[in-house]
Amino acid sequence: MTVKTEYLITTIDAVPSMAKRRKEDGWRFVQLLAVNTEEGIDLIYSFMKDGVLQNNKVEHVAKTDSVPSITDEFLAAFVFENEVHDLFGVDIRNIAIDFGGNFYALAQSEPMTIISPAQKAAREKARQAAIAKAERAKKAAAANAAYVVDHPGAKPAPKSDGVLIKPSADGVEEKLRGIDPEKVARLRAAMAAKARKAAAANADYEETHPTANPVQPKQESNISDELEEKLKGMDPEKAEKVRAAMARKAAKEAAAQNDTAKEGE
Amino acid sequence: MGSFKLGAMTLGGLFKKPETIQYPAQTKPAPAGLKGHVVVNTEICILCSICAKRCPTHAIEVDKKGRTWSINRFQCVQCGSCVRECPKQCLTMDTSYAPPAREIKVSAFSVPEHPKEK
Amino acid sequence: MGKATVIPFGPQHPVLPEPLHLDLVVEDEKVIEAIPQIGFVHRGLEKLVETRDYNQFIYVAERICGICAFGHSMGYAETVERLMGVEIPKRAEYLRVIWHELSRIHSHILWMGLAADAFGFESLFMHCWRLRERVLDIFEKTTGGRVIFSVVKVGGVVRDIDEAQFAEIKRVLEGIKHDYNQLCKAFLKDTSVKNRTVGVGYISEEEARALSMVGPFARASNVNNDSRCLGNGGYADLADFQPIMDTQGDCYARVKVRALEVLQSMDIITEMIDKIPDGDIAVPVKGSPVDGAEASNVVEQPRGECYYYARGNGTKYLERMRMRTPTSQNLAGMTKALAGCDLADVNMIVLTIDPCISCTER
Repeated sequence: MTVKTEYLITTIDAVPSMAKRRKEDGWRFVQLLAVNTEEGIDLIYSFMKDGVLQNNKVEHVAKTDSVPSITDEFLAAFVFENEVHDLFGVDIRNIAIDFGGNFYALAQSEPMTIISPAQKAAREKARQAAIAKAERAKKAAAANAAYVVDHPGAKPAPKSDGVLIKPSADGVEEKLRGIDPEKVARLRAAMAAKARKAAAANADYEETHPTANPVQPKQESNISDELEEKLKGMDPEKAEKVRAAMARKAAKEAAAQNDTAKEGE
Repeated sequence: MGSFKLGAMTLGGLFKKPETIQYPAQTKPAPAGLKGHVVVNTEICILCSICAKRCPTHAIEVDKKGRTWSINRFQCVQCGSCVRECPKQCLTMDTSYAPPAREIKVSAFSVPEHPKEK
Repeated sequence: MGKATVIPFGPQHPVLPEPLHLDLVVEDEKVIEAIPQIGFVHRGLEKLVETRDYNQFIYVAERICGICAFGHSMGYAETVERLMGVEIPKRAEYLRVIWHELSRIHSHILWMGLAADAFGFESLFMHCWRLRERVLDIFEKTTGGRVIFSVVKVGGVVRDIDEAQFAEIKRVLEGIKHDYNQLCKAFLKDTSVKNRTVGVGYISEEEARALSMVGPFARASNVNNDSRCLGNGGYADLADFQPIMDTQGDCYARVKVRALEVLQSMDIITEMIDKIPDGDIAVPVKGSPVDGAEASNVVEQPRGECYYYARGNGTKYLERMRMRTPTSQNLAGMTKALAGCDLADVNMIVLTIDPCISCTER
């Protein structure tokens, strides 16, 4: 069970009337906070009554906008309005107890609006990685679905789009040439072991399902180019784990393909 | 002037066992699980640097080329994240606190080469 | 008609647990007006969200304040769990409630010691802190730390408490109760204590509502803002929870509310220990908060209601984490209570709001 929260959008001009209405209806003032976004500062006023928490959001307040204070209705807000003024640079008029920018004695003015370049770079990188991952996942799902629809009785084969599963034994060799020999030896041993295990699994599967379509011989690597790049940079243990996971996923998809193919017949 | 309300407690305090111990002659036994300082088992460590990535105060440094694992005990906040995140379970927390020192020294341990068990 | 003098109070003062500056406008030993000034321990912790991901930030949230440490880690973890839509197992919720109520006991006993010190009763102060040591020993045995526990993570808790430790907790609480009842008698029935606290710093119910006060400070003026009634997390399973209220509205009422809350917390802990279900203590949490998602949460800390707000931006760093602590809400009430009091009562009134200035300024 959790406390009920709601979010409502308000404009700067509606703030005084909103505050008056809340006071008359008996809402209790909870807090005022500011969020620094790229388009401006978001202000969130929170009120609570009878176990319901309502947040009024004023979005994208620019540097030049002046927000009226609500301390004439709720005196307790003076702490937060001074804080928002000092840390975010929002101009609030007519605060009942106004410290004039000296509430916190800060070394820099408006420190919450400063984002250091290192932080910006980190956020940008994380954002790009998230977008790329979403794209890949979407394409893989679409490719899977499309393939199954088009070819109901097909042998489970690697997808022609080449997004997730790719026969690239030669490609792997190319890359392996660039890495130091100790690592290469380990990777080769791992891949050989995997191939052996996969062949054994295939043999078992064929024994238990004699009517199944013959499965394509497992490729050396079921991994796309981009993933290969990343694996090179990762720790070999982790790389092995990732490869094992991809192989398992491919085996599962192959099995699923088999099932749908059987039903299609 | 009311009666002395703490009378019973004060009088009892003369005869009961004191709540304090005679430190440093006696020391309190540390309970099991007290988060004192981080101990690394260099036999198992594989220098994967996951502990360094998860540490909230960047107290751990892992040098793969030089095969060393080092921790700045004064920066460590004894949160236990490294102990939980280690994939080989080679980190533990011991119950004694890091002793005070005159200067900040980073404790470095060299991780010997060990063959990977397959 | 005397001349008004301005006396600076703080930031260094023997009675204050944390630095707070007050400019007292005084006329012949009567305080006319008090203007608070904070900012001496501003560490910019909310900005650290940009460089610590949401798992690492819990250790920063814990260290906002030493007394309310567990409350902040629990509130932060609950908010991020709500942001990411994670449900934690029931046993973890109960464990968090048990630790939080123990934290409330330790905080209130600590406060009572400080209040005794404020009106000069130093042996009562020592006795209170002696009892508090037993609670800190429980923390040491069950979590591994005395003040900062580091036992909560996003997705549950990290350590479990077994049956033997539960029995130990119950035994220690029984032992504390016996001595604690004598301390309560000293606080509530002693004439010298009553002389210092009755009628001092009176705030009426209407003023308490108008100034949006929270916590025991408000409950002493008959205003119920207790967030435990909202039923967050493990508090939803309490059989019958009635917050302790008082109508007198002065310092004596605030001491009484806190003293009785300790006994109520002991009962809550015993109830939770008897009811705790078996199960996991954590669920794994993967991924990052969705871009633009926001979540808010309220937790009833020992000092009052604490509001948390989190907003995600798609990366593993949160976009914004806001902790609004009860003391910042009560500063207006304190300013009001100080107007018209004697200069010698300033100590007591400032302490009765239970100021936790490091929480206020983060």
